[in-house]
Amino acid sequence: MSYLTPTTLDAALGALSGRDTEAPVSVIAGGTDWFPAQGERAYNGTLLDVTRVEGMRGVSAVGTGWRIGGATTWSDILHADLPPAFDGLKLAAREVGSVQIQNAGTVAGNICNASPAADGVPPLLSLDAEVELTSTRGVRRLVLAEFITGVRKTARAADEIVTALYIPALSAGARGGFTKIGGRKYLVISVAMVGAVLTLSGGRIATARITVGSASPVALRMGDLENALVGADLAEALERVTPERLAALSPISDIRGSAEFRGEAVVEAIRRTLTQIMKGQAHG
Amino acid sequence: MSDILALAPRFGSNSGQSLTRRDGVAKVTGTATFAADNHPDGLLYAVYVPATIARGTVTHLDVAAAKAHPGVVEVITPENRPPLAGDPDSKPFMFAFRFEALQNNTVRYANQPIALVLAETFEAATEGARLLNPLYDAQQPRMGLDGDAPFTPESGGLGLPGTTVHGDIDAGHAASAQDIDVTYETPEQYHNAMETHAVVAQWNGDHVTLDIPSQAIVMQRGAFGYYFGIPPENVTIRSPYLGGGFGSKAIINGPQILAILAARMTGRPVKLMLSRDQMFGPSGHRGATRQRLRIGIDTDHRMTVLDHNSLATTSTFDTFVESAANASQGLYAAGALRSAHQGVRIDAGTPGPVRAPGEAPGSAALECAMDEMAYKAGIDPLEFRLKNYAETEPGTGKPYSSKALRDCYAQGAARFGWAGRPLAPRQMTDENGMLVGWGMGTALFAAPMFAAQARAVLRPDGTGLVETAASDMGQGAWTALAQIAADSLGLPMDRIEFRSGTSDLPDAGIAGGSAHTATAGGALHAAGTDAIRRLAELATGDPDSPLYGAGNAGVIARDGRLHARDDDTRSESFADIITRAGGAEVEGKGSASRTAEASAAHAMYSHGAVFAEVKVDPDLFQIRVTRLVGAFAAGRIINPKLTESQLMGGMIWGISFALHEEARFDQRTGRIMNADLAGYHIPVNADVSGLEVITVHEDDPHVNPLGIKGVGEIGITGTVGAIGNAIWHATGTRVRHFPIRIPDLLTGA
Amino acid sequence: MSKKMQITLTVNGETQELLAEPRELLIYVLRERLNITGPHVGCETSHCGACTVTMDGKSVKSCTVFAAQANGAEITTIEGIGSPDSLHVLQNAFREHHGLQCGFCTPGMITRATKLLEDNPNPTEEDVRFGMAGNLCRCTGYQNIVKSVLAAATELSAAKEAAE
Repeated sequence: MSYLTPTTLDAALGALSGRDTEAPVSVIAGGTDWFPAQGERAYNGTLLDVTRVEGMRGVSAVGTGWRIGGATTWSDILHADLPPAFDGLKLAAREVGSVQIQNAGTVAGNICNASPAADGVPPLLSLDAEVELTSTRGVRRLVLAEFITGVRKTARAADEIVTALYIPALSAGARGGFTKIGGRKYLVISVAMVGAVLTLSGGRIATARITVGSASPVALRMGDLENALVGADLAEALERVTPERLAALSPISDIRGSAEFRGEAVVEAIRRTLTQIMKGQAHG
Repeated sequence: MSDILALAPRFGSNSGQSLTRRDGVAKVTGTATFAADNHPDGLLYAVYVPATIARGTVTHLDVAAAKAHPGVVEVITPENRPPLAGDPDSKPFMFAFRFEALQNNTVRYANQPIALVLAETFEAATEGARLLNPLYDAQQPRMGLDGDAPFTPESGGLGLPGTTVHGDIDAGHAASAQDIDVTYETPEQYHNAMETHAVVAQWNGDHVTLDIPSQAIVMQRGAFGYYFGIPPENVTIRSPYLGGGFGSKAIINGPQILAILAARMTGRPVKLMLSRDQMFGPSGHRGATRQRLRIGIDTDHRMTVLDHNSLATTSTFDTFVESAANASQGLYAAGALRSAHQGVRIDAGTPGPVRAPGEAPGSAALECAMDEMAYKAGIDPLEFRLKNYAETEPGTGKPYSSKALRDCYAQGAARFGWAGRPLAPRQMTDENGMLVGWGMGTALFAAPMFAAQARAVLRPDGTGLVETAASDMGQGAWTALAQIAADSLGLPMDRIEFRSGTSDLPDAGIAGGSAHTATAGGALHAAGTDAIRRLAELATGDPDSPLYGAGNAGVIARDGRLHARDDDTRSESFADIITRAGGAEVEGKGSASRTAEASAAHAMYSHGAVFAEVKVDPDLFQIRVTRLVGAFAAGRIINPKLTESQLMGGMIWGISFALHEEARFDQRTGRIMNADLAGYHIPVNADVSGLEVITVHEDDPHVNPLGIKGVGEIGITGTVGAIGNAIWHATGTRVRHFPIRIPDLLTGA
Repeated sequence: MSKKMQITLTVNGETQELLAEPRELLIYVLRERLNITGPHVGCETSHCGACTVTMDGKSVKSCTVFAAQANGAEITTIEGIGSPDSLHVLQNAFREHHGLQCGFCTPGMITRATKLLEDNPNPTEEDVRFGMAGNLCRCTGYQNIVKSVLAAATELSAAKEAAE
C-alpha cells in the first residue's frame, strides 16, 4: 500500500496509467468514505490523493458556464459566490454529512461514489452538470446522467480522474431548490430527495428541470413532468405533479421507508421544492 | 428520626447545591484519562476478528497470512489459546454472563470473537485481522421473536421472578365493563456508549493491572481474578472515567478477557479497543419484546385487571429475558395484576441490562395501552391515571416509602398546559399546517440499593480523605458523592480529598439500577459519621477541650469544627482536637445496604410524569418532538444540576427509543445490517428542543438514611409512551411498535 | 508492503516530523504516536465527531483523515485550545453549564464549537444545533451543550465589544 500526493495533473495521471488490477489505485479526495467502505477487506493497492493537484480545487466562471474543480469541497460550494440557480446545490451541500464532512468531502467524490442516496446528484442533474474525465489518453466530457451508470457504478475508467464538473450557461433568473425527506432532522440518509432548477416568466414556469433521488437506483430527471410544468403558475404547477408523470421512478422498500411511501413522498417533495423556488424561499 | 432532619439545616451544607462538576476541568481539556488513553511502554495492540455468520463453525483461518504481515506478533485462535482458570461458560456469580473467549470453533452469534491478532501497531493488528479471511460452515440462524418456540424463564431480567400474579386475573377480566387487548413490539437496541469497550492490560508476575471502564470495579476485580486463577487482590482495576456505560460496562465480555490473556501470553502490555461495529455483539444489548396488554375497567373507570405478558429474545446459550412486564407492577391500582414473561432463543449475543432494563420497553407498552384504554373509556388520559392512582403498592399493599406522583402530574401538566386537550385525535394544527398532538405517560423506576463500603479519614491538618471505589459513567459520582462525603465530615468541598475509581478502595457496589448515589453515598455518609463520632469521643473526653463533657451525641460537625449542640460558642477545630490527641489520623468506616426488613416494610420507587407535544407533517409524516416536559420526584436531590442533566439525558433516550433506535438483523445471515452510527440512529443536537425538567420536592424517611432515590434511568420511562400517544393524538394512527417511523403513519392516513 | 512516508504536522503549534504508513489515520497518529489523547475514537466512520480536530482552520473528523493527507497541515486539538490552568471561554462554559456528562465526546464538541463561533460569533440556538449536529452525545447532554456554546458566544462577543 502506498499513498501518493502528486501536485501536478501529469504526475497524477501518470500514477494511474498502466496500473494492473492486482494493486488497484483508489483515487481519493476528502477520503471520508474510503475507510468506512473497506469493510472486512484487507487493504491493498495505492491511494492517489488528488487534493494537492494544482488547479483541482475551487469554483470559477468559465466562458458562459461554471467549473467546479475535482477537489472542490462542499464547504467551498457553500462559501462560493454563485447565482440563485445554485441554491439547490447549496442546500444539498448543507445536508452532506456534518460540517466536518463538508470541509473534507468533495463534490466529485460524491458523484464517484454513485450512491443512490448521494445528496449532491439531484441538484447537479438539474443543473445539467457535465463531468470532465482526464487520463493520459486525453480528456472527455460526459453528461452526469451518462457518468453514473448504476448503484455505485460510474463510467470512469480505471486510469481516469474526474478533474472537474461543468455547469453550462444558465438563463438569467434561473433558480434552484432542494428538498430532502428523512426520519431524523440531520445526518440523515434520505428517504427521498428532489433537486430542481426553474426559470420563471411572469410568475409562470418557463423551463423546469426536476430531478428525484433515492427513489430509483440512479437519480433521474422527470422529463414528462418538466414538459408538463411549462407555462404553469404555482397553483397549476402543484396540480400537475402527479404520480403518472413520475412513472420513471422505481422506489424500493427498505429500512428507511416503503416503496409506497417513497412514491407519495416524492410527489410532496417536488411540490415543496416548486413552492420553495417560486415563492423565493430557497436560500443557499 | 431520619438523618435528613439532622443534615438539612446544617450550615455550609454541600448537598442540595448545584455544584459544578469536579471532573469538569479534566473533561473539557482532554486530560481526563479514559482506558484507551493509556500507553505503557512495550505496548502491543490487539484486534479481535468478528464472526460474519451467526450460527455454525469456523472451518479455517489463514493464520499464516496474518502472521506473515509485518508487525503481527501473535494470532490467538482456539488452537493455541492458553487455558483460563475459570470456564467462560460457567456462571460463577450474579451478573456473570457466559461469554466467548475462543473456547472452541463454534459461532453462536455474529460479531462473536473468533480470533485475536496482536501486533506492534494498531494498523498492523487491524490488517492481520483482515488477512485471517475466515471460512465457515454456516447454518441458517434463528432470528426474531418467532425464531423458535417460546419458553418460560425462571426469571425476567436479573433475579426478578418470571411471573408475578396478584389477585384473581380471571375474575378481573370477568368484572370489566370495557377492556382492551393490544400487542406492542420493541426492537433490539444496543448501548452504544460513545466510548467503545477498551482495556489496557499489564501483567507483573501474578498481578495484573487493568485500565478498563467498569461499572462495578470491586466486583469485577473478583471476577477477573476468578477467570485468571489469581486472588482478587492481584487484580488492580483503574477506571477513573467511563465514556458512558448504560449497563454494558457492568458485565465482563469475551474480547476483554482475550486481551488480558494475550498480555499474559506475550509478557507485554496489550491494548484492545473495540470498533463501533464490534459493539453490536459481545457486550450485551436490549432484547426485542412483544408485549400483550389486557386492561379491563369497571363503569367508574377503575381498573379491574392489568394483565401484561411479554415475550423477549435471548441467546441460545444464556438467559436474560427483558423484564418488560414488570413495569406493570407497582404503579396502577388494578384489582388484579399479572406480569408474565416468556423468552425465545435466537442466534444473537446474550442481552443484558440496558439503561432502564425492563422498565423502558415495558413502560412504553403500558403507557400506550393506558392511553388506548382512556380513549376507549372516553376520559382524559391523566384523569384515567389519577382514577387508578395507587395509594399503596398494588398487589402487595405495602406503603410507599414516599410517592409524590400526584405532584408530578400536577406540576408537569401545569407547566405543559395540558388542560383543555381535546380527547379525540387529529384536532390540532399549528400555523404551518402541521398536525399537533399531545400525549402523556407516567414514569416509574424502582429505588433499589446494593451494598457498599467506604472509609473516611480526618487528618491532623483538619482536612478529610474519603474513599470508595465508585464509578463515574458521566452521571457525576465524582461530584455528588463528594458532596455527601463532605457533609458527613462537616467540611467544605475544598477540604476533602475524594479517592475513587480504583479497585484498591472499599467496594462501592455496582453503578447501576439508579442506585449508585444512594448506595455509595450511604456508605460514605456512614463512614464520615463514624469518623466524626470517633473525633467527638477524643474531644469530649479531653478535659483540655472546650467540648469536654458534651458527650459524643452532644456535638455536631460544621465547617471543620465540632460545636456543642446546645451551645454554639463551645467549639474546637478538627486540627486542634487531633493534634492534642497525639496527631494520629482519625479513621471511620461505613457501609450501606438495605435490610430485608426494610425491603419488606415499604415499596420504594422514583416517580414522574412526562408530557409530550409532537408535530407531524400531514403530507410527509415527518415527526418532530417539539416539547417534552418531565416532572420527577426522586427523593432527596444531592446536586440539582447533575440530576437535571441525568433526567434530560434519560428523556432524550426516550425520544431515541420512540423514534430512532432499532438494530436490524439480516434474517439470512444473522448479521446486524446497521451496526454503525450511520444506520443505527440516535438523536443529534438538531433533533432535540423544547425539553424541560421539573424536580418535585420529596422527603423520603424510609428509602435509606439519606433519603435518596435514583434519577439515571427513570427519564426514559413515561417518555416513550408519551411520544407514542402524542403521535396518535396528532394523526389518529395508533402505531403499536417502536420506533415509530414515517411509513407507519402512512398506512393509517 | 507499505511504503512509509516522511510527513510533517504542526500540532498545537509544535512541529512533529514522523514516518507514517499510508494506511495510518490522523486520529491514531495523534493518539498512539504523539500521545495526544484528547480527541477520541467513537465510531471510525465519521459519524460521531469525538475525533474532531481543526485542520488548517477547518473542523474535520480525524478518524477519516489519512495522516498523509494532513502532511504539512496545522492541527489543533482540544489540548491546543486551553489547559487546566488557562481555560478557553468555551471550555469554561462547558464546565460551568454542565455541557458534558461522561466527557468522552467533549473534546470533539468543544473543538468543533471553537470553529462554529469563529465562523458565526452570534449564533442562534438553531445555528448551534445544526452546527454541532455532527457531534453525537449518547448520555445525552444536548440541552446543556447548546446552553454552553450560547453562553460562550455571549461572553466572547462581550469581550470583543469591550476591546473595541
